[in-house]
Amino acid sequence: MKKLINLFSLTVVLLSFAACGEQTDAVESGVYEGTVDKVEPAKTEIYVKTVDDKTLELYFTEATKLTRNGEVVPFDALEAGQTVKVEIEKIGKRLDPISVEILEQ
Amino acid sequence: MPEIPEFWRTEVWHPLSVHLPIGILLAAVLFKFMQRIQPKSMWNLGGSILLYLGTTAAWISIYTGNLADGIVSRHLCDPTILKDHENMAYLTAWLFTAAAALDLLQFLGSRILKMQVLSWMVVVLMLVATGFLTYAGHLGASLVYQQAAGVHIPSEDCAEFE
Repeated sequence: MKKLINLFSLTVVLLSFAACGEQTDAVESGVYEGTVDKVEPAKTEIYVKTVDDKTLELYFTEATKLTRNGEVVPFDALEAGQTVKVEIEKIGKRLDPISVEILEQ
Repeated sequence: MPEIPEFWRTEVWHPLSVHLPIGILLAAVLFKFMQRIQPKSMWNLGGSILLYLGTTAAWISIYTGNLADGIVSRHLCDPTILKDHENMAYLTAWLFTAAAALDLLQFLGSRILKMQVLSWMVVVLMLVATGFLTYAGHLGASLVYQQAAGVHIPSEDCAEFE
């Protein structure tokens, strides 16, 4: 019985950690390079993991310019794992992507 | 001239659907807790029905919250609060789901655990989930009342209401 109760407690703790989800960071305006961690096409949103291990949550605006090899490409050109260079404007704690350049797969 | 936006906007479905599970789940906790103090089948069965209904409604409100997320995030000054709200909501829903699954074992006849132990586990899980539910609700309120998430702000001269 004691083992089962311990198992129950462990499950609650693990469930809590598992459901905590991803944390995002606010950074200053500027240009950052990183890897696309996740793409949410329905929300035109991407998560970018920077080299200093920060996670940027970027919602594309109408003004966001997405390019590859200097050419403008549609949002569906983005995939998880790609290396990107993003120019960000910080408004409050919101990060508006001004431009996103796909560097490589 | 500014216009009053349509009421049935995508982002409005979340506040419309989120308050029902909050009420139902809090009532479920109360019923299950009362059952521990004053064992009566009414408290247990009532609490179980409320728990299943509330958990289902909680997942529906998470779905509507995801729909609202894509719209309101672009206008918030601090979207990290929205992310915390989302994480807390998922945690709450999973904990109530776990409580509902354990609670179902009572009716299916658990051979692994004694009924008393199972019943206490359900209550403890629900109490922990209630703590997270309260915090998720607080964050949701802060998004609305401090950052006007999903809220139409009328023009200064209220011309659209004339």
